[in-house]
Amino acid sequence: MGNWQEIERVLRLSFSLAKANFKVRNEGSYLGIFWYLLEPLALFVIFLILGEVINVDIGYYPLYLFLGLIMFNLFSKATTEAARSISDNAAFIKSSKVPYEALVISRVFQFVFSHIFELVVFVVFMIIFNVNFFWIINYSFIFIVFFFFVLGLAFFLAVVGVYVRDLHNIWRIVIMLLMFLTPIFYFSREGFLITEINFYNPLFYFISIARDFVIYHRGLELGFFIGSILFSVFSFFVGLFIFRRYKYKFAEML
Amino acid sequence: MEDKKTERIVVERISKKFDLHFRKQEGALARILSLLYWGEEKELHVLRDISLRVFSGDSIGIIGKNGCGKSTLLRIIAGIYRADKGIVKTNGNIIYLTGFFNGLNDRLTMWENIYLVGAIYGLSQREIKKKFDEIVSFSGLNDFVDTKLYQFSSGMLIRLGFSIVIHCLHQKNPDILLIDEAFTTGGDIEFQQRALGKMEQIIKSGASVLLASHSLDVIQKYCDKVLWIDDGVIAKEGKAGDVVEAYMKKYGS
Repeated sequence: MGNWQEIERVLRLSFSLAKANFKVRNEGSYLGIFWYLLEPLALFVIFLILGEVINVDIGYYPLYLFLGLIMFNLFSKATTEAARSISDNAAFIKSSKVPYEALVISRVFQFVFSHIFELVVFVVFMIIFNVNFFWIINYSFIFIVFFFFVLGLAFFLAVVGVYVRDLHNIWRIVIMLLMFLTPIFYFSREGFLITEINFYNPLFYFISIARDFVIYHRGLELGFFIGSILFSVFSFFVGLFIFRRYKYKFAEML
Repeated sequence: MEDKKTERIVVERISKKFDLHFRKQEGALARILSLLYWGEEKELHVLRDISLRVFSGDSIGIIGKNGCGKSTLLRIIAGIYRADKGIVKTNGNIIYLTGFFNGLNDRLTMWENIYLVGAIYGLSQREIKKKFDEIVSFSGLNDFVDTKLYQFSSGMLIRLGFSIVIHCLHQKNPDILLIDEAFTTGGDIEFQQRALGKMEQIIKSGASVLLASHSLDVIQKYCDKVLWIDDGVIAKEGKAGDVVEAYMKKYGS
């Protein structure tokens, strides 16, 4: 993206495409938004019940759980859809001169829209559980960092999706493994193997910081703070670099 | 005379080949296995040593049989493909036009589609709003603004698609217009004539136009110069009448 004008054009187009996709998915039903919320809410109920068995000592467990779930949901939905964003639009790419970045960004935007609805539900939960809901403001910072992490990965997966047809099968398994690896419905304690592994798991950083900031109002841990920013910057620039390196081949490869 | 005009497109000795053994979008396992052996490479040279200079205000027709490389040349100029060899330089904003249905979504209403396609052609929301009434009234579909496209007849789709594209072109005022077999529209006589009128207006507005078409009448009517591509090389170029005549002599009846 050479200059600001070009970036503005890409963002504008991404927004329009995301809006159109969002409308198409919610077509004809006022319950449309509900379908977006159904999955995290269903998982929420299951893990809430499960939580009685495994996690008795996490404060505000429902909030802890739900915030983890909706952040993971944004990550999994946006990356899964972005992986198909170029290969699904083959005819379109061959016949128009559109900035391809917009096709990827629009998928991520689309799930940012639904993430906003999930956050509204989260705020309702905060009120119910008597946590000062004003702290949701703190989420905006971690969200921006998280957004660029997801976007960078989305760019990378979109490129791989052009070359590897069954990427979605592989990625689905990765998502499932991450779902269990990341402390979403449990708490990772010191001295366990899973805690060691999570040291390398970017999602653990983003979700932990969000929980500390929004639910527990803890001061920030410098390591986590720097780690999350590093993951985010690395993902965004590497993803974008790879995307821009390969985008000239898309029209021929599809 | 030439120094008064701006040079819009410079194409110098470009070549393009496609790998015929290339397997499209294989699964992950097949990809990994394919790294282990190299088969014999078989390539198709689509374009060889093509050079071309286009100035502002020029309109150049491109003719040739199916598969001769017309679309490939336009796509290379548009930046959708990359040439393997040679230099392509363009100066000004480019619009590549292949059809009038790009980006239309049949599960959205007509007004939503106008905004969507407008955005695809690079218009801002404000610009689309300004053109909105014009687009609707040109298409003659005033009663269907809130109707979803899956209920449109094919004639209505043509009207809508063309109206959006042509008004976007008008607004963007491209310096370079690459038209790939998207000149005639279909629809009823009345609409066709109005559409043709609009198209002429755009072509004569001073943009550099490259027009690839099989319709020799259209080529002769709107192009001063014609490029005949045969099997990836320029078979003949020059005045529209001469080139079309030679082309007809070889293939026509």
